[in-house]
Amino acid sequence: MTLVHNWHLGRTMEYPYFESRPEHQFAAVFNINRCIACQTCTMAHKSTWTYSKGQEYMWWNNVETKPYGGYPQHWDQKILQMLWDNGNNPMEWYTGAEDKDETTAPYGLYNGDTIFELAQNKGLNQVAVGYIPDDKEWRFPNIYEDTAASEKTNYETKAAAESSELPVHKRWFFYLQRICNHCTYPACLAACPRKAIYKRKEDGIVLIDQKRCRGYRKCVEQCPYKKPMYRGETRMSEKCIACYPRVEGKDPVTKGRRMEARCMAACVGKIRMNGLLTGDYKKPDPKNPLDWLVHVHKVALPLYPQFGTEPNVYYIPPRWAPRSYLRQMFGPGVDEALDKYASPSRTLMAVLALFRASQTMIARFEVEDGPKIYESEVMGKKVEVYNDTAIGFASDGTEIVRVKIEEPTWESDEKRMVTY
Amino acid sequence: MLRGLKRKSIFLGSAFVAMFFLCSGEVFSQSLEQEATVEENIPTEEGLTVKFVNTDLEGAADALAHAPSYTVNLQMQDRSFPNGGGSVSEVEVRGVHNGETIFFGINWSDATENDRAIKHEQFRDAVGLMFPIEIVKISPETPFSPRMGDRGKIVNIWHWKADWERDLRADGGYEHMEDQYPDMFTDFDFDPNPVLINKKAHEGADLMSGGYAAGSLLSQARGRSVEDLNAVGFGTLTAQEHQDVDGAGAWVDGRWEVIVYRPLSTPDANDVQFVPGKSTFFNMAVWNGEDGDRNGLKSVSIRWRPITLEAAE
Ligand code: SF4
Ligand code: SF4
Repeated sequence: MTLVHNWHLGRTMEYPYFESRPEHQFAAVFNINRCIACQTCTMAHKSTWTYSKGQEYMWWNNVETKPYGGYPQHWDQKILQMLWDNGNNPMEWYTGAEDKDETTAPYGLYNGDTIFELAQNKGLNQVAVGYIPDDKEWRFPNIYEDTAASEKTNYETKAAAESSELPVHKRWFFYLQRICNHCTYPACLAACPRKAIYKRKEDGIVLIDQKRCRGYRKCVEQCPYKKPMYRGETRMSEKCIACYPRVEGKDPVTKGRRMEARCMAACVGKIRMNGLLTGDYKKPDPKNPLDWLVHVHKVALPLYPQFGTEPNVYYIPPRWAPRSYLRQMFGPGVDEALDKYASPSRTLMAVLALFRASQTMIARFEVEDGPKIYESEVMGKKVEVYNDTAIGFASDGTEIVRVKIEEPTWESDEKRMVTY
Repeated sequence: MLRGLKRKSIFLGSAFVAMFFLCSGEVFSQSLEQEATVEENIPTEEGLTVKFVNTDLEGAADALAHAPSYTVNLQMQDRSFPNGGGSVSEVEVRGVHNGETIFFGINWSDATENDRAIKHEQFRDAVGLMFPIEIVKISPETPFSPRMGDRGKIVNIWHWKADWERDLRADGGYEHMEDQYPDMFTDFDFDPNPVLINKKAHEGADLMSGGYAAGSLLSQARGRSVEDLNAVGFGTLTAQEHQDVDGAGAWVDGRWEVIVYRPLSTPDANDVQFVPGKSTFFNMAVWNGEDGDRNGLKSVSIRWRPITLEAAE
């Protein structure tokens, strides 16, 4: 094992390989608040990559209902339980000013064990703790769909008396969109005894070499997000490939420019933005929309940072779910992120307007000022909305898209409002 | 403790930079392996004698039954991550040759027959024979890693797999999803003629091919149950372009009985060559699928054992 820096944890951690960051990192921001669970992303994925024999149960993209749902069932509870049972400051964070650093420890300092450290502390004969889900756990990708949690059971509550209000709803659920995180420190890669899994230097995409894989399922066992999957038909494992031909710009539609992955480009709720983060997390580019959301504005957070893989899909947490649950899922950055999201800045409004505005990856954004169009108060804070224009550019500098904050609306001619 | 670790990292960070320059240009990874110990490079005194018997493929099983048996003690693989195995404590091996082909008869006790690897949680039983590809001297002064060989010290591995054996008996020489899940085209389907329609739809789509496209022997009918491989250390196991080893196995009353055979000499530079009257070394490993054994999770013999072929008459 060597020591590597994991900025999600604000500290160094044990990992079997040296720190070696890619030049750019495939990444995405998912705004949970906007997801309608239409599963268009899921089907876009399915119809592109996993429609063949042996892949029936595979959903490289899935959308599950939290807190009860999970694909495979209970995947996160099981890993959390392992980290918790260890008893070694389970999942504890230090969040004092002295524990934070703007770039290397923005959320504070994680003091519990990661999946790698736990395996070492337990003296396990493998690099990370984990388990292989069985058929039963894989079979229902959307189990507990729309099932809400509540402090009381439905039987005890009366619908009207228990109406929900922000900041935290008494009855709540939310959708969690999940793909492989193309982690900076992939557990799947670390677990593979054959080094059949590699992380590309140019874009950080993590792939299983189908020539080297021998179906040992060590990646299935040790990826905490359960995103490598075994294909019985070919006797080897497969995983999300980040639609790498599109990311490379091989699809003629975007004229050689990098293109968003299928699940991203298909998103009906416009919750997703897909692109490349600057490889060096210490030098984020404030004009790159993903760098800005993740590193500069810190409104988008990693999923279960405590696992220790430094995942690269970032989430804007749902406003209405209990904060303690969200902190467990997205780390201590939740409160700051939600404050910023609830009363968004002009820049945040502009970047959010660029979500799903184009299927070419937006490498740079600009904002042109417009007039103030709305003013209100949210949770005691003043919110002002300006009709600014957000402009997205591809990495070659070409302007790709231009959108106004206020969506254009048209009123139909009265004569056309026929009622029958 | 972690506040300390945080500070420590600043120091270590610079140490890493220094190391990086020392090793620049190299593909650099930290393996979780330990070197073979001195004892491991001392081959055992006793070994396997491969009798010359005037037999053919038909008579090989009988000839092997009459050949002297040699017991190889096995232990858990504990050198390279992921470690594990150890549930099979010994394997019995016999050998005969007819001047052209060498036959090995191998048997070991295994209460469960694991001959499929289609479900997530299914792992196969298997046995491996390993030989240095060249005639070598092995001693603490002239080490030759008994654990999958080493750079410049290539081993040839013959790997019999219970699921490949079962594939041989399947239609088309390969088991498919529907062999494990016979209702896969009808589950949750109330159509009066579901098998036909769903199967057609399924097979009508072009295959997203993964392992087939990569040409992996694992993913297609290969007409044999033994794989011919090379390795130069942990994690380097690679199937040969040219497959030369054959075999057959059966699980009878809690024991696997396996025969593995190959011509004494082959034109393949990656193969071990056997010369009647001469000796080389071998090592063995057994995988118990029921225990989740695969890759480094296995029961291994560790020390090299001599193998001597009787001169042909
Ligand atoms: S999410 Fe899992 S499969 Fe994807 S890179 Fe991370 S560890 Fe590997
Ligand atoms: S397509 Fe978008 S809105 Fe629909 S489920 Fe997927 S992430 Fe949610």
